[in-house]
Parts: sequence; structure tokens; C-alpha cells
Amino acid sequence: MVGDRDTGDRYFEPQVETMPREQLRALQEERVLELVEYAYGNSPFYRELWDEHGVHPRDIRSLEDFRARVPFITKDMVRAYRARTGDPFGGLLCVPTEELTSVSSSSGTTGDPEFFAEIWEDAPPLVTAQVRDLWELGLRPGDRVLSPPGTFRNLMDPGYQALGAVVIEVDTWIGKMHEVVEALRTYRPAYIQMMYPQMVELEHLAEKVDLKEAFSSLKGASCAGQPLSRKMRERIRDDWGIDVYEYTSAADTGTAWECREHDGFHLWEDTVFAECIEVEEHGWRDVQESDLGELVATDLDNRAAPLIRYRSEDLVRLSRGRCGCGRTHARMWVAGRRGDETLVQGRSVVLRDIWNAVEDQPETVAGVFQIVRERREVDELRLRVGYDPELTGDVDALAGRLGEAVLERTGVKPVLDMRTEEDLLNTMTSVAKFPRVVKS
Amino acid sequence: MARADTLARAKELARPELAYLVRFPAADGMKDMELTWAELARDTKWVTERLRGHGLAAGQRALLTTSGFEGFWGHTVIGALRALRVPYGIAEAMGWDHRRTAVFHRELDPDVVIGLSAETLEGLSGSADIGEMFRSTSVVLARPAAVPVLRGAGVSACLMSAVGPALALECPERCGAHVNAAEWRVGERDGELVIAAGEGRRSRLAETPLGIAGRVETGKCACGSEDPRVLLAEAGPTSSSRS
Repeated sequence: MVGDRDTGDRYFEPQVETMPREQLRALQEERVLELVEYAYGNSPFYRELWDEHGVHPRDIRSLEDFRARVPFITKDMVRAYRARTGDPFGGLLCVPTEELTSVSSSSGTTGDPEFFAEIWEDAPPLVTAQVRDLWELGLRPGDRVLSPPGTFRNLMDPGYQALGAVVIEVDTWIGKMHEVVEALRTYRPAYIQMMYPQMVELEHLAEKVDLKEAFSSLKGASCAGQPLSRKMRERIRDDWGIDVYEYTSAADTGTAWECREHDGFHLWEDTVFAECIEVEEHGWRDVQESDLGELVATDLDNRAAPLIRYRSEDLVRLSRGRCGCGRTHARMWVAGRRGDETLVQGRSVVLRDIWNAVEDQPETVAGVFQIVRERREVDELRLRVGYDPELTGDVDALAGRLGEAVLERTGVKPVLDMRTEEDLLNTMTSVAKFPRVVKS
Repeated sequence: MARADTLARAKELARPELAYLVRFPAADGMKDMELTWAELARDTKWVTERLRGHGLAAGQRALLTTSGFEGFWGHTVIGALRALRVPYGIAEAMGWDHRRTAVFHRELDPDVVIGLSAETLEGLSGSADIGEMFRSTSVVLARPAAVPVLRGAGVSACLMSAVGPALALECPERCGAHVNAAEWRVGERDGELVIAAGEGRRSRLAETPLGIAGRVETGKCACGSEDPRVLLAEAGPTSSSRS
């Protein structure tokens, strides 16, 4: 049964995962103060920026000082530094390049990818920060895992192997789900990493293959790169029998996973100092725990190129209350990206409303769609929507129904560009992301 | 620090001998074979020596293009680069990710590119001159179908390829890709490659036809290695006849 497992050894690092909040805060303060000194001394980007703002490490003696004085940074600021100086790391690098182990990057779906400089010994940083999450999911020494689809944030295998898992080499990228199902039956893995397009492909297989039987060896599967819709999640859990753990980016400092409670994404706060704020015309303010704000993150465990007060553009709700799992580290619920909202002749249209309308049509239940726009403010709502050709007799009739459904949800009549799901998914340029908002 | 503590805790776990279950295409379908940590360490050592033979050394930079299911050799290449203290950038080997390969290449100016695929080159060719891009890169180790494209564009590419569960790497002599003779037995039957596991491998693999058109050269290579060399039809003729 989904989620029904022994919880006797639930925590991988119990002292850290259940650390009292005041102790966690003291740990964060210690690391932040070290970080400020370190970054100022070694990163040309921070030294220049903080000098401009009259900030010096000697003035930062507490978390309150840090929050009051150290300026936010954005992706655009790092890009501008990179363009101005030619430094591929945007001035963030705190060590000579020869001291790096590796360089991974963002997906680059909205421009040149940003580099992530990495220093590591046994496993790359991103997957190492997932070890606790994988343990929570139930992964244990001797378990088998299927290799993930890509190497986008470095080879993930060493992280699984650190937990004593054996990696089975299977191509799990789009178009290979038949093989994946065969591998599941043959090797009976405990864990598989999935991405949204694979879920869409599995949905097509569901009519012909007993997915519940195929997936029955899994302790859990993770899914990232795209939030699952409620319908898709129910389908995966109830019809395919998979305990699916979604995870998302922790503002490029790592990842944030659901625990077995499936109630929010845990941030590992010994690796990230998280703030949830609202930036206003003349400053900023903390938002209430129940309100949406922008996630701002500071790396606490990255001596290569730490992000400090980095505005993620992710709109989240953040809670520091103890989770039902017993962990004390904060959880967040992601509402979307700042800037994903589209203004159509002044009327606000959000992704969720479009998604609901798309999912309500049987032919487009997989929710494959994109908003096509040059700018946030547009005169017409242009949507590209993927349909399942096997379920679609009359594309024009579908478009008519869909147009009405979108109008009902958003108050805006869309201009629709209907494609097959396969056509649309094949335009992906990342294993991690299916972009919901595109320029063309 | 946090991640280091996590990995220290992980080291307390009882880790199985196995690191991977390697699946590979053979002439009659997919096969699998166990890969232990001890074997992975030996394979990494071999790859380290092969890359050292290309002149890789501390202070240089690498770009690795690979896929998630290629860890059995990706792990060894990464281990070798780490042993040589060569930082690496990483991008997917799939064609649609060619932009990241281009950006890594432009911004990091790697001394060595490992794992270039024909699909990546096809993607790159839409916006770049392949020859211009890679001619100045000291070492280019490319997959079989990418080798003739690169050589046709004037790039002195060397071949790298999975040969069943083994990795074949060409040396600077460019007269076939070496396979580690201490671990594998490679041969040819009717113009196609066969492979068998050496005595030291935990998982037995009797001679297995791979369905890869090619031939095997034995005898000492000009690089000094006695490892046999595979010459793959897909990679085109070798650029050197020395052996």
C-alpha cells in the first residue's frame, strides 16, 4: 500500500533533520557569518556589489544584520556581470577554476544556461543533498534503482550508490517507456526518477499495459521539472500504485522534496537559508506564513560559488512549523513563477486556470500546453496545446470545446495552436523542464 | 559541512559489492552484466592512463557529454578526470541539448571534449561551423557516428565507444580504440565484434556477438599499449596506419 512502510529508521541524520528550530537558527547564523566574510574576500561579484551598497563583513554580526544590510541578487544581475566581464561564472566563483571538480548548469530554457561550479569528493552536490530524501522515500542498501533520464545537474548515480543502491542502466528518456516497463518487470527496482513527459508517455501505455503490476516493486518514484496536476497525481497514485514524491528547485541551491506526508517541499535548512518576502517599491517585507511571497535563498554549503540572498522568482508559501514527519526544517508550497502570470488586455491569466481547462478535456488530459508570448502584457492569449491523437477524432471540435473551457476559466478567449502531444514534447530542450511559457 | 556529513553518515552503511547492473545491446537483444566497485576502480584506473596518454593534466578543462544510462563508463571517465585534477563541464549527449554543449564550449574553452555524439553535432551544425569550433580543442573523443563528421571537418577526433559492457578509447595514434585486455577479450567473427569477460570479472560473460560491424587489431600500438584495438565501420577508416 502506498506510503505504508516501517518508520523505525525514518531519518537518515536524525539529529540534523529534527533539530530544534532555535538550534537550526544558530547554526544558520554561524554559517551565514562565515559565508559573508568568505564571499567578500573571494568573489569579485559580491565584493563589487556590497561595496556599492556600503556593506562590509565587519558590519554583519547577526542574521538580523545580514537581512537588513546585504542586498538581494537576481539572475539578471549575474548575467549582466558575466556579459560585462566575460567571466562565465558571473563573478560568483570563490576559488580558482582548477580547484573545481565539475561544472553543471541550469537548463537554459530561457537563455544561456547559468553555470553551477561544484567541488565534491564522493558524489556531486545536488544528488548528495537528496540522500536524506531518498532515505525517507525508503531507499536502502541493496535496493535497485533505474538510472535517471539525464545528467543535467551531473551524474546522479554516485548519490544513489552512496546509499548502497545498485544502478541499473536503462534509457529512461522519452520514447523508451516500453523498455522501462520491461526493465521494471525484469529487475524489480525500488526507485525511479521520472520527469513529466515520461508520465505523459506512460499515460498512453496505460491502456495496453498493466502499469500497477509493472510498478509494484517501487518503494517510490520521484518527479520533478514540472508540478503534477491533481488529476495526474491521482492517476499515478491510485491507478498505477506509485507513491510519487515531487520535488522542486530550492532556488538553485539544491532541491526540496516532499516527505511521506506529501504536504509541502522540505528545504534542508542546514544547506540553505530561506526567506519568503515581498519586494516593494522602496524595500521589502517578510510575508506571513500563510501568504505567498518570493523565495530568497542563501547557500550555506557551497564554497565554490555560493548564492547569497538570491531572488528565485518562485512564488511560494513557507512554513517553519514542524511537519507531520517530525522534521523541523521548513516546508514550502510552490504557487508558480513570478512572471508566469499573463496580462491579456489587462486581464490576469494564470497557468493553473489554463491547466484545469486543458485537463478537463479527455483528449488533452495529460495537460501538455504552453503559453506563447513575447511579453507579459499581450493583446491575445495564444496557447499551444498537445492532444492525444488516439483519442481525438475531430481536432477542430476539440479546439472549440477547449476554447470555451479556457474562456470560462479565465475570461479570455484563446487563440489555439493544436499539436499532437508528441510534437510538443519533442520541442523540449531539457531533461528537467517542459517550459510552460515560450516566446515562439 | 552538511553534505560532507551526509556522505560520512552514508559511509557507515553496508554497501553491496555491486555498483551497477550494466545493460548493453548484443546481436540477439539486450544483455546485462554486474559491475562491482572493485571492477569500477580498475576500469577508472585504466581510463585515467588512457586520458593521461592524451596529455590530460591538472590545470586543463574537460567537457563531457553523456546520458543518464551511461554511468558505467561515465563514472569511470569522471573518476579519471578527478584523478587527473581536470575539472569537467557536463551536458547531455542527446541532440536537443546541443545549445548547452555550445555554451560550455564557448565559455569554458575545454582542452578535451569527451563523448560527442552525431546528434549533438547535427544540432550544432545549424548555428556553428563544426570544424572551426573543435579544431582548436586539443583532444576530441567522439562517438562512432560523430568521428567521420568531425574528421571531415578537419578535426583530429579520436574514437570512443561502448563495446558491449566495455569502453573503447582511441589513443593519439588514432589507429583504433583500445579495449582493456586485462578485463576483456574482444574479437571479430564474420566482420562483427564479439566480447567476453576476462577472468577477473565477477560476472561471467561468454563470447557474445555484439552486432557491431568492425574488426580488431592486435599487437603493440605505437602508443606503447598492448591492448587490442577495435576499428568500427561506423567510425570510418582510421587516419593512421601505424601500429
